[in-house]
Amino acid sequence: MYNYIEHGKGATAVSTHQEDPEKYAEFMERIEAGEKIEADDWMPDEYRQTLIKLISMHGISEIMGALPEKEWVPKAPSLKRKLGIMAKVQDEMGHGQLLLRVAEDLMAPYGKDREDIMQDLLRGDLKFHNVFHMATKSWADAGLIGWLVDGAAIITQTNMLDASYGPYQRALQRICAEEVFHAQHGEAIIMALAEGTEEQKAMLQDALNRWWPALLMFFGPPTAETTGSSKQEATIKYRIRKSTNEGLRQAYLDKYLPRIFSLGLTVPDETIHYDEEKKKWIYQQPDWNEFKQIISNNGPRSQARLRLRKIAHENSAWVREALATPVVTA
Amino acid sequence: MSLVETAEQAKQDAAYKEALVEVLYQLADDDFIISYRGSEWLGLAPHIEEDVAFSSITQNTMGHAMLFYQLLEELGEGDADALAHERISNERRNGTYFEIKNGSGTYLEEPQYDWALAVVRNYLYEAFKKVKLEEALKSSYAPLRNTADKVLMEQPYHLGHWKTWITQLQDSSQEAKERIQSRLDEAWKQIGDAFELGPKADDILAKEILSSSETLKQRWLDSVKETLTYVPNGDLASELGNGRAKEHTDQLDQALATLSEVYNSDREAVW
Amino acid sequence: MAENEKKATFYKTYEVFSRKNDKSHAQHQFSLLAPNEEIALAMAQENFMRREDVIDVWVVARDNIRKMTSEERKQWTKRLDNKDYRNTKGYGYLRKKWREKEQEMLDEKEILSWKEVARK
Repeated sequence: MYNYIEHGKGATAVSTHQEDPEKYAEFMERIEAGEKIEADDWMPDEYRQTLIKLISMHGISEIMGALPEKEWVPKAPSLKRKLGIMAKVQDEMGHGQLLLRVAEDLMAPYGKDREDIMQDLLRGDLKFHNVFHMATKSWADAGLIGWLVDGAAIITQTNMLDASYGPYQRALQRICAEEVFHAQHGEAIIMALAEGTEEQKAMLQDALNRWWPALLMFFGPPTAETTGSSKQEATIKYRIRKSTNEGLRQAYLDKYLPRIFSLGLTVPDETIHYDEEKKKWIYQQPDWNEFKQIISNNGPRSQARLRLRKIAHENSAWVREALATPVVTA
Repeated sequence: MSLVETAEQAKQDAAYKEALVEVLYQLADDDFIISYRGSEWLGLAPHIEEDVAFSSITQNTMGHAMLFYQLLEELGEGDADALAHERISNERRNGTYFEIKNGSGTYLEEPQYDWALAVVRNYLYEAFKKVKLEEALKSSYAPLRNTADKVLMEQPYHLGHWKTWITQLQDSSQEAKERIQSRLDEAWKQIGDAFELGPKADDILAKEILSSSETLKQRWLDSVKETLTYVPNGDLASELGNGRAKEHTDQLDQALATLSEVYNSDREAVW
Repeated sequence: MAENEKKATFYKTYEVFSRKNDKSHAQHQFSLLAPNEEIALAMAQENFMRREDVIDVWVVARDNIRKMTSEERKQWTKRLDNKDYRNTKGYGYLRKKWREKEQEMLDEKEILSWKEVARK
């Protein structure tokens, strides 16, 4: 009833370091000393903006990422696989929940909530990861997502386990613990196919051929110039993550290529090799223009997946409306 | 009737076994088809947190189906995966109301799913399942008693969950009230066969494998009337057919085609 | 106030706590959005404790929690390291004293082991 906001319950001051050089210096000192920043701590606007962008994109990617695998949930070929993949996709929704909660608390000072995130997604303003715009054509795709897409996600997420933002870092501890199950769930499907019939092996190789460029793209362009934008600088400066896009991609190739080859699989890149001198993998760059197109919601399944979310959201508007409780806002 | 302790013992009495497997198929097929419909909802619930909670219930329920299929496996009916994936619609014994689609469209395209149907159907189902399993605790078949006991351990959460949803929605907005009431009207016309015991009903009762259809129905009605503020007029009907007598809608065919698509692509392969 | 707008929301923030077993205290798990506490409770367990034991779950509307502000955390949680007298650390010399009298020190390990000692 009153236009009175108690401390800690209302808007946090949103400020920039230009206005508060002293606070900015103190903030940088804290994160450089390894301290964690909490939601109601002072933070530079650039930090808040970077986190909102990163975490809402991460969160909504989990939500959108549930959809490609979900296509195979009802079709999974045994009771055990049905249960396993259901639990796995449920976790993706759960990770989305954790991450969106973190993003929502950061957005609260701007008066935004989950509904705004959903609307941003449906309008095309909030992007989701390139891999989740792709088609899943066979059961092998479901396994491959668990193994190699989640593998890529594990590399990027573990890189942020020490992130300077406390709530994000805590959510990531939970998420990474569950990712271990995801990796093994994916490996189990892949292993059965790799050791299965000729058709199963062919199905697996076909899936890998189709997914390979998307997997390389997952880590983002090596430099800002490639696509004209990259958030990697700010995230490293603010101790949110440690490595560059390319550093993460190299770590991924280090860990996963030997395993791919050990299953008798190939990747669709004849030039790929490890350069002993430079200590890195030399590989054919994916088409970064295509990457730009994909994440602008012009990928093979972008519009279809957004349509699913839109239908789900709109069809249940009556539920949210029916149970909404009154709040007084200033 | 004295207690039948093992599958081996049950198999020695052909009439007993035949009656027993009917009950087990009903329990297994009900849980399996409703959890299949639940799995189609994954990612599409009205709220992210609810999506996660709902999926746990779906997984638990499919786990329960698996336990009942395993009891059938022990009785020589075939392995659990084959029972779940290979049987065509006129071999299934689930109640027809549990097989109907979540709404128009498919989970892959234009899923015009209705949360009122999800809430009403799941609530009515869980209330029914509780009654049926409690009656199964008195069964002459010991392995069924044991499984019913196990399932009843985690099932109260399921019932509580859906009871919360229906309790809140039925007395909220006018739109919600109307949606819930019209789904209840629909349920009353379609859920009747769920209470039937099928062609072996007489033996099921004579051999004390399960309680009567009337008992199940009455106990269920008593329980849902405590929760529902609107109860449709008239008797329960089975407009979609009698699932316990293996009569089904083409919506079950659609479900079976989807859930066994990969399995059927190579039944011999290890997946 | 005239500029205050009455708004309804489905998205209220609830903090979720749970207890793992009879001996553990309630621990904060995470937060979720729900329209009211009944729905919050119906969802809480499966959102955050799917893979762990749980014997109790609490949900609390975040608005009902008075937590420290950023400043209070900074200012109220620091202490001087001069409170040995509150701990056994400040009484360590007793061990030697009791030894001189051919007695064992009744330390934490010893005292907590008494739950097994039956009274005759």
